[in-house]
Amino acid sequence: MPATVDARDVQGLVSRGYGGLPYARFTLLSVGPADAARAWLRDLAGRVAPADRSRPPSAVNVAFTWSGLRALDPPPAALQGFPVELREGITEAHRTRILGDAGPSAPETWDWGGPGSPTVDALLLVFAGDAGALSTLAAEELAAATGHGLTALRRLETTPLGTPNREHFGFADGISQPTVAGLHPAGRPADTVAAGEFVLGYPNEYGYRTPRPVLPPSADPGGLLPKDPDGGGPDLGMNGTYLVLRQIAQDVGGFWAYLDRATRTAGGASSREAQIALAARWIGRWPGGAPLVASPDRDDPAMATLNDFAYHDVDPHGLRCPLGAHIRRAHPRDSLDPSPGTERSIAVDRRHRLIRRGRSYGPPATREPAAGADEPARGLHFISLSANISRQFEFLQQTWLNNPKFAGLYDDADVIVGRAAEGGASFTIQGQPVRRRLVDVPRFTTVRGGAYFFMPGLRALRYLGREGAGGVGA
Amino acid sequence: MTLQAAVTIVAEVEPGRVDDLRTVLGSMTGDAAGNPVLPFGALPGVHFARLLLLDETVDLDGASLPARLVYLSDVDGSAARHLGALVAAGGDGLDRVFGACRGYPPTATPGGRLAFLRAHLSRPDAAYVNTVGRTSRQILEEAALRDEIEGFLDGRDWSGSDPGEVRAAIADLVASRADLQWARRAASGLGLVGQLRLWTERIALVVLGLLLLPVLLVALPVLLVMVRIHERREARQQINDPSSVLGGRPVAEREDLVTQNPFSAVGFVKPGRFRRLTLTVLLRVVDVASRQIYNHGQLAGIRTIHFARWFFLDDKRRVLFASNYDGSLESYMDDFIDKVAWGLNAVFGNGVGYPPTRWLVFGGANDEQKFKEFLRSHQLPTQVWYSAYPRLTAVNVENNAQIRAGVASAPGSAKEVEAWLARL
Repeated sequence: MPATVDARDVQGLVSRGYGGLPYARFTLLSVGPADAARAWLRDLAGRVAPADRSRPPSAVNVAFTWSGLRALDPPPAALQGFPVELREGITEAHRTRILGDAGPSAPETWDWGGPGSPTVDALLLVFAGDAGALSTLAAEELAAATGHGLTALRRLETTPLGTPNREHFGFADGISQPTVAGLHPAGRPADTVAAGEFVLGYPNEYGYRTPRPVLPPSADPGGLLPKDPDGGGPDLGMNGTYLVLRQIAQDVGGFWAYLDRATRTAGGASSREAQIALAARWIGRWPGGAPLVASPDRDDPAMATLNDFAYHDVDPHGLRCPLGAHIRRAHPRDSLDPSPGTERSIAVDRRHRLIRRGRSYGPPATREPAAGADEPARGLHFISLSANISRQFEFLQQTWLNNPKFAGLYDDADVIVGRAAEGGASFTIQGQPVRRRLVDVPRFTTVRGGAYFFMPGLRALRYLGREGAGGVGA
Repeated sequence: MTLQAAVTIVAEVEPGRVDDLRTVLGSMTGDAAGNPVLPFGALPGVHFARLLLLDETVDLDGASLPARLVYLSDVDGSAARHLGALVAAGGDGLDRVFGACRGYPPTATPGGRLAFLRAHLSRPDAAYVNTVGRTSRQILEEAALRDEIEGFLDGRDWSGSDPGEVRAAIADLVASRADLQWARRAASGLGLVGQLRLWTERIALVVLGLLLLPVLLVALPVLLVMVRIHERREARQQINDPSSVLGGRPVAEREDLVTQNPFSAVGFVKPGRFRRLTLTVLLRVVDVASRQIYNHGQLAGIRTIHFARWFFLDDKRRVLFASNYDGSLESYMDDFIDKVAWGLNAVFGNGVGYPPTRWLVFGGANDEQKFKEFLRSHQLPTQVWYSAYPRLTAVNVENNAQIRAGVASAPGSAKEVEAWLARL
């Protein structure tokens, strides 16, 4: 029996993607004077949407970077137990290397979050049912923040969710999400993941609680925080999570132009069908969402949201869905060592899951490559939630997406968001009698910004915002 | 016949010379293959090599331990032959490296250098080789063969062809190339002498096992209870661990530059004769098992390790572990936990700072975060690291060998041909 998560104390974004709230705006903030910022946070905590409320008419969530947490000036003990990933941030040199953020994706070139830009302290996420409601609510929230000395560094607008939801390359996105045991209603066993993989303070897939800031009792005299179930100390991490935000720009024109070049017949004829078929092999699903492993030859609306499948029994060698396809790398299900096709293999996959809460930005793209035309900025504000940034987000990006050696391959990084330190530009389509290989496939996405955040539980928000208690005296 | 040797040289660094040595090693860091001091790329038959500087420290009782220079290489053939090649290729570069060590001849001659290296050569207590008998030359040649075949396949649209036709076309390609004729013969592998050595050891082990079985059956429960008693006592002890440093950054700075990474770590053995003895026996078991069982492609299910070794230092007060592995440290550690937590517990559980084990093999590494902290806090920067094939994973190497084996043998059944083509 899994531990029940105290959903009243968890921010809503953990349990739901707010699909019913198609309009969203993310604002990057800089914190001013600590006293004023804490007053803002005290007040805001009452408006933050908790995870136990279904179908809210609008929602506000908030998260802090390491510098933001420090700017709130909590007692020093409160800053002790945060993981090195949060403290160093996404732009630390080794992290940059493992994440593949080099060349046009290097932090030095980022629009925000890089070494040249102002330090991001906080992220305010506002969701609403329509454009008007969003702009009203976002303006109110921004006024509340700026009224307390915070400064808006950047507004990240998002594309309203469509039905079905497609990212800019034209593919259904966000189909596969983990079911959080003890928070979500029961789901498919293979998708059901221990709460502690996403929510701090609960047992994770190894049966342990992920390390998090647990304070000495003296640091929480008012008893605002939940208690650490193991040692009884005030638990600042409990019911919180870590949020990774990455702005990933998509070159939609380049994407389809390459596909066109790569699929022309010997006679030079262009084929829309062939372009889509190749792109589907990169992704592992058809534009409509049907997984290639279930429907290798054509899109199938009946399978648009099909997620109950595995790889090993039907397709161990990638003849239906290439071994290097995006979804097969990001979520290998039962296809990896040890013992592919068994529960042991799925157990490994479960230790590297992410809750994805990203939203697209920029105007919806048409599939026609705009020859030579200036394209508007488009992409994805990628958001992932997990309890362990290193074992989940970073591992996934480095070992499964960027790694040209994934699943026994030689030189294939993920075409969609993979960037290897060197090489990795091939894409192998396993086949009979023998594979087909594309070499020198360009990258169609670049990272434009990013940061690691701690998204506290609601009681932790009140604690961080509590009156008067600065770090100096405590 | 070629077996690999895990060459291990440990020398004490003169107290005043550590910084100089660090500078010399630092100058080699960026280019282990071609640096002017010790160009590893010029040495024949080397798979991997590294130079490590262990700083001066104290042991668990506070007694001082001098700084040490550790030279490790994984080579084809004997250690003696490798030392000869090292002296020949290294020349006075060796003086710059080992000149900082105690007992190094003040005016070095080739003979003096060789004598010094020999005097400091030791046998590791356990050594693992991904595939016993596969030479670095074979690995490089087979990688080149695979590149040739892949390039050839890229040049044509094979859809509609019969698998047999594709295979025949590849065979024709190899046959037509003077530089690929070697691929038409099977790899030499262990050869008769190597096989004989392995089998002799195997038979000796079986005989020994049968003889000792009655003793073991009686002793094993007693030993396990003793282990448990030690575990419970140790759980109450707080041992200050001088080898534990959270110096992750200097290590990480050199990680993830290529497909492979070196891992080097040093730690103290838990105090007392019992732990020392347990670890001595277990490392012997690991050594034998690596040769007899895990001698082709995997170590207890882990396919990402090329070479690994363990050896005692300072009268068995410390152990050094060094390996060459594929991919990220995070995935390496996950692999360990997911696949061989029991084995790690049995071996590393004898080390100070390891998460508590139960009955030798339970607990321990299953506490993922504590285990990762243990490894990270005992990891050492590898000052100089050389790989003869830095862009190949062990899985790639094995696949290349299978591709070559398919070229070298007769076509086989339709199913076999299909399976072989799937390797491309």
